[in-house]
Formats: sequence, C-alpha cells, structure tokens
Amino acid sequence: MRKQSIPAIILFLISLTIIIGSQSFLSPCVHEDGTFGPCHWAGQALFGVGCALGVTAVLALCVNRARFGVYLSAMPLCTLGILTPGTLIGLCHMSTMQCRMVMQPAMIILFSVALLCALTGAILSARK
Amino acid sequence: MTIKNLVRKPGRTTVLTLLTAFLALAVFGGSVVVLSLRSGLNSLEARLGADIILVPSEAQSKVSFQNMFLQGTTGAFYMDASALDKALEVEGVEKAAPQTFLASLKADCCSIKIQVIGIDPEKDFTVQPWIARSLTRALGDMDVAVGCKVEAGIGEIIRIYEQRCKVVARLEATGTGLDTAVYCNMNTMNQLLKAAEEKGVSHKMASGDAVISAVYIKAKDGYDIDAVNSQLNSCVRKATAVRTRSMITGVSDSLAGVSRTVTILIIAVWLLAFIILLLAFVLIIRERAREFAVLRLLGASRGMLARTVLLESALCGLLGGVTGVGLSALLLFPFAQLIESALQLPYLMPDVINVVWLGLGTVLLSVIVAALSSVIAAYRLSRVDPGSALREGN
Repeated sequence: MRKQSIPAIILFLISLTIIIGSQSFLSPCVHEDGTFGPCHWAGQALFGVGCALGVTAVLALCVNRARFGVYLSAMPLCTLGILTPGTLIGLCHMSTMQCRMVMQPAMIILFSVALLCALTGAILSARK
Repeated sequence: MTIKNLVRKPGRTTVLTLLTAFLALAVFGGSVVVLSLRSGLNSLEARLGADIILVPSEAQSKVSFQNMFLQGTTGAFYMDASALDKALEVEGVEKAAPQTFLASLKADCCSIKIQVIGIDPEKDFTVQPWIARSLTRALGDMDVAVGCKVEAGIGEIIRIYEQRCKVVARLEATGTGLDTAVYCNMNTMNQLLKAAEEKGVSHKMASGDAVISAVYIKAKDGYDIDAVNSQLNSCVRKATAVRTRSMITGVSDSLAGVSRTVTILIIAVWLLAFIILLLAFVLIIRERAREFAVLRLLGASRGMLARTVLLESALCGLLGGVTGVGLSALLLFPFAQLIESALQLPYLMPDVINVVWLGLGTVLLSVIVAALSSVIAAYRLSRVDPGSALREGN
C-alpha cells in the first residue's frame, strides 16, 4: 500500500463515523413533541458534509495523478464541518443538551482529525 | 545515535511509546477528574452560602434538593411570604433571604424546562454576590442573569411564559445545577408567576398572596446551628428547615468514593504499566546483546551504552507522555459536560495554569518511570561480554 493512501483510508473511516454518527450516537437532540430545533438542521448539514468528505476520500484512494488536488479539496470540507455546529448553524440554548454536550465536540474533533489527515495526505502527495 | 535507534525500530518504539502514553493518559485524566470534582464541591459550598434552608413542608416529597442543586432539576413549591418574617424572629438567625422558584414550561430555545429563580437583591447573600461579579448594578425589572450553561448572550431576549426577559449578565461557572438556572428580581418573578397562572400553571396559593419558595438563613456566630434549625421547625408552621451541611455531606461522601476509585485505578495502571515496561526492557536485552557487543568492540564505553539505553527509554517516555496528555485533554475538555452529567456530581474544571502544571508534571513522571524501568536493562547491556554475545548469536 502506498504511503499517500493511508490518510485517504483514515479520512474514509472518519467520514463513515460522521455519516453514521450524525444519524445515531452523535445525533442532535430528540424533541419529545416531534418538533425540530436548530440543532436538527446542523445534524443534517453535518451528514451532508460527511457524505461529501467520504466521496473525497474514495477519490483520493482511486485517483493517482490528481491525489494532491483531492486532498486539498477535502480541507475546506473539513473546515466547513468544524464551523457548522454552533457557528454556521445554531444549536440549542442549553449546554446540557445532547447537541452541545456530545454532537458539537465530537464533530469538531472528528473534522479536525480529518483536516490533519487531509493535510498529511497533501504533503505526502506533493513530495512524491 | 539514540534517535536513529528509535527511528530504525519503529515497532519497538511504538509499543514503548504507547505503554507510556497509556500511563500518562490514566494519570492526567484521573487527576483532572478528581481535581474537577473537588473544585465542584468547593464551589457548591461557596454558592450555597447559607446554613439552613427553610422550605414548604411538602417540598421535600416533591423534589430532591440535592438534585436541584447538583443537576439543575426543576422544582417549584410555594409558601406564604410571611415565613420570612417568622424566620427572622427566631433567635440566632442573623440573615434571611427569600427565593422564589418557577419551572418554565419549555424554553423557546430547546425542549427542556429551565429553573427560574427570583431573588431579593437587597436581602440576598447567596446568589447576589455571585451575580455582582458579572453585573455591577442590581437586576432591573424584566432583566435576567443566566447561568453559564444557558447559551444566551448579553442583550439577548429570552421568552419565559411568553414574557420577554432581557439577559443582562452571564454568571461564572459553579459546576453545579445552578449553572442551568435563570435569575431575576422579585418583581419580574411576580410577573412571571402571573403569566404562568394565565397559562394554567397554578402555584396553589390564593391569587394575590405574596409567595416564596425558600428562605436561606445564616445563623449568628456562636449559635448552635442545629438548635436554630430545631427552633425554625417549631416556630414556622407548614415549613421545614433543612441544614445545608446535610446536603453537602452526601455529595462529599459520593465524591470521596469516586476519588478513591480513581486513585486506586491510577495506582493499578501505573504498577501494571511499570511491570510491563520492565519486562519489555528485559526482553530487549536478549535482542540487542549483539548490537551492544559490536558497539563495545568499536570502542564504546560501558557508560556510553548505559546512557544510550536510558536516553532511548526517556525519549519514549517523553513522546508517550505528550501523546497521553494530549489524548486525555482531547477527551476531557470538550466532553466535560458529558462527564459531569454521567457522574451527577458537582464538576468544575481546574483553571488553565493548574492544568498546564499537571500536564507538565505527568510528562515528567512518564519520562522518569520509563527511564527507571530501563535501569536493569541499561546495567546488563552495558556489562555484556562482546565475545560470548557474538558467539551466542552464531
């Protein structure tokens, strides 16, 4: 396995965690009355960004020549993922709510690790 | 040479680093949790401020005070406001301040209830000093101060029972359930009680009667608090006096239990990791005997070889220590609220300076333990007989 593919594999695993997590164990708050709070839309957006990141990771695994560019394109996606919960899309107004207590920190950490992976991948691809 | 040795054997270096990282993670993580619990308890003691709390007799069956203060559970119970004057007449009572509680139906921000607490800024000696740190003036009508866990900025309007309240202060963290409450003055509280009544939330008192939920009492110096407590119980009808100490003792006992468990776990992890490291280094002696024999033949002194082994293990310790502390910080700080909810105890993170010192101490400890566990290996490798070591290999 090539060195440059390792960050892509990690990136893919992270995006998979984000996609599954945003719909299950890292999901936004569940309102008892069935209404949606702002955090619901943040969760949906994170699901979308996670899917896009997953596609980017698969591309980074498949393509050879344009790998550097693919890693570069993953970086703004990761930044978007970091900024989505709380900054771009608001969350519930109580720190003790699931969206602030679990979803926001977990997503920020996952997207930050993904950003580091993309950066490492870009550096390794550029060196080749 | 030391760094080259580590780089050329990535497997060995990774295992040793991971072992020390595990050590550092356990020590740093455990220490931060224990420190946070201790600061939480101190904060709870400081915030309660009163010796006795006088509440309606039915209150204790309605809600657990401990849960109200620790987890921010909402609770509302009322008694006649005259209980305050009666409490002040009791001998040994130095100060008494009323508070009125109201649980919101549902904040328009999220799906949970929030506790609204009405205070008398002139008489209050428990919450007011805390509010004064963030707000230099008294709370005005329809002004509210919010606990640090209510995510509302200063100047923002929050709606409670369709009443628009302006956030004028955000309070410092206490690590207790008080952080999830909203504080207002008694005029605002009366308006909110009226609005709640219009929404069908009854406070079971005749309309127009002034109501309060609790009286916070400070006993005079030199008076036996238990005696004052008993007198309050006999003098104020339909009310029960509760010693705050009894609440704190319960929390303190739980905290001691958690602290003890964490400490035992840390010691167990350290012992285990130390033994594993020691074994790992002893096993390495066999693997590296020939390498060191060649070095001896090339003119390396025994001291130089011992120093190389010690330096290699210390570097692994440093790398592992930094990794462990970093990983631990990555889990502890962003998920502090989750840990607090899971522990159900007051939890207040120590300040940055203490955390930095603790991190540095943990890294230093990891380096020392890694170096200590390699002492036997360093001694034996430095004394290796080049001739027999090379013959054994053949």
